[in-house]
Amino acid sequence: MRLRDITRRAGRSLRNAKARTLLTSLAIGVGAFTITLSLAAGAGGRQYAEDIVNSNTNVNELYVQPKQENQGDLSKPKEYSDTPSISYGGGFSLKLLQQSDIDKIKKLDGVQSITPVYNVTPKYITREGQKKYQVGVEAFLNTLKQEYLAGSGNDVNRGDAVLPDSYREALGFSSPQDAIGKTIDVVVAGSIPGVADKTFTLTVVGVTKKSELAAVSGQNSVQAASENVKEMYQYAQQGTPIANAYTAATVLAKNQSDVDTLKEKIKAMGYEAQTAQDLMSFIFQFINVLQGILIGFGALAVLTSVFGIINTQYISVLERTQQIGLMKALGMRRRDVGRLFKLEAAWIGFLGGAIGSLLALAAGSAANPWIRDVLSLGQNTNLLIFEPWTFAVVIIGLMLVSVGAGILPARKAAKLDPIEALRTE
Amino acid sequence: MIEVRHIKKTYGKKQNKFVALDDVSFTIPDGASVAILGKSGSGKSTLMHAMSGLDRPEEGEVIIDGENILKLKAKAIDKFRATKMSFIFQSFFVQANETCYDNVSLPLEIANVSGGQRKKKVIAALEAVELGDKIKSKAKNLSGGQKQRLAIARAIVNDPKILFADEPTGNLDSTTGDVIENLLFSYTKNNGTTLIIVTHDPDLAAKCDIQIRIKDGKIESVSEPKKTAKHLSVRRVQ
Repeated sequence: MRLRDITRRAGRSLRNAKARTLLTSLAIGVGAFTITLSLAAGAGGRQYAEDIVNSNTNVNELYVQPKQENQGDLSKPKEYSDTPSISYGGGFSLKLLQQSDIDKIKKLDGVQSITPVYNVTPKYITREGQKKYQVGVEAFLNTLKQEYLAGSGNDVNRGDAVLPDSYREALGFSSPQDAIGKTIDVVVAGSIPGVADKTFTLTVVGVTKKSELAAVSGQNSVQAASENVKEMYQYAQQGTPIANAYTAATVLAKNQSDVDTLKEKIKAMGYEAQTAQDLMSFIFQFINVLQGILIGFGALAVLTSVFGIINTQYISVLERTQQIGLMKALGMRRRDVGRLFKLEAAWIGFLGGAIGSLLALAAGSAANPWIRDVLSLGQNTNLLIFEPWTFAVVIIGLMLVSVGAGILPARKAAKLDPIEALRTE
Repeated sequence: MIEVRHIKKTYGKKQNKFVALDDVSFTIPDGASVAILGKSGSGKSTLMHAMSGLDRPEEGEVIIDGENILKLKAKAIDKFRATKMSFIFQSFFVQANETCYDNVSLPLEIANVSGGQRKKKVIAALEAVELGDKIKSKAKNLSGGQKQRLAIARAIVNDPKILFADEPTGNLDSTTGDVIENLLFSYTKNNGTTLIIVTHDPDLAAKCDIQIRIKDGKIESVSEPKKTAKHLSVRRVQ
């Protein structure tokens, strides 16, 4: 018997039991729904992460940190080292980069520039007639993707600052536009007793909406021109053992092709180095694990539906004993009888896969704008991205699973004795 | 020609052993109509199953056109049944949810007949049983007689050499039964098809060329072939 004819007959017997077919395929559809959504979430998550990383880091950049020594046996006293470090209680210490390290790396081939990371925690931020607020200050990076409510980040020079909208409000500016061109005071405490606090007066050139990065890093600090940040940092560390020492530095390579060789060289010199790619792969790994967990749930639903298919097909074989007997009496081969039932299972899988993945597409498309609102992602950012190949993979995969589930009932049908089946009561 | 030689079929084991067919032998010429006549449990159905290769007796041979079908492999017997034999049953066994067309088309699909030929043959077979106007009707909407006519269409669509009919009129009233009988006899005579009817109805058996009486798994008597069907209706056997 031809495969086409068997397929047609399989489809017809399913149509004759519409409710049962639909219910059985809905069970497998739940699995298809979950799996399709997880694949879409994975694709969307990766896309989103890539967008963020690409807009916030430069592919030519390397993040360099000193190699931290093994903290070793904490019960024994440690030898004192003259190199700068931040000590915590209990013998933990964090090694820092010194100016000599910075200079050494700067001399490497392919390095365009190296900028230490300045961690500044001023005493407070304020302006005339307003309260004092705690604040963090970061160096302004023009590669950072931000949405401006007023002003812009196109021209941030020494003495300029970019304020998040929350600080704009706290500092008493009536509107984002109102803040532009006004000054704010950042007060940095002296490093050692006897040194007075120093006030840095900065001009507001931009007010930003909550950053896209805020969701990832919780970033909500005032950004100032890097020269100012450097001065604040130096003022705060002046005269302390960790003056001119940094937790990390950012190396900018001349060419993108140099990044990997630079990373190896810097590592060989005894530092930790991470490229933008490394950072991305970490995020991707995280997304992949999450996606894997979701797919696991989907697989569980599919597994459950497998028993449903086996059950349905067994009942179908029992119900159609006479039909099977007749077909065998008419000379239908065992293999073809088995195929008929396997193809019926395949149809159920196809239906379930199609229903589930199309529902997922509909639900996902409807949910995308809502997710965008709730997580305040940027315009045109979809967290669920449906790629055409996922539908093909889900449907074909579930058809194969269904055929697998149909094997036992199909074998029962193929083995049926036509004489028994056709015996008239 | 169908030659049945020394067939023996038993069911069960040891104490429960039951001999369904015991050393059964006879010969059927091509194109004859044969009645296998016997009471319920006499072994007549088992004999039909053995002759059609559905069942395998322990001993003996069934030689059709010089080939012992009991020695064939399952695949070859299936092919043999698909191309040379067909069946009509007491309870019709038509597929209620399928159209008449799909019911009749099944044996052709099994025998791998090409699509173009299939349509022609199905329509011809349905017209032969006067169901030409029911091609698209579902089988469940037919009356009992129509269902059996549909079953006949299914049986003759692939021009079988041998047609087995197991109590073909058993579920029908006598008027409808007569129509079915006439259809069967006229088709097989016109096409030279061997007709083997399994029945307990002596009236139906009398209309056949040869009557094989079977009792307790043994041949009781085999009548001599009559020349024409016309005489048979007058001259009843015993």
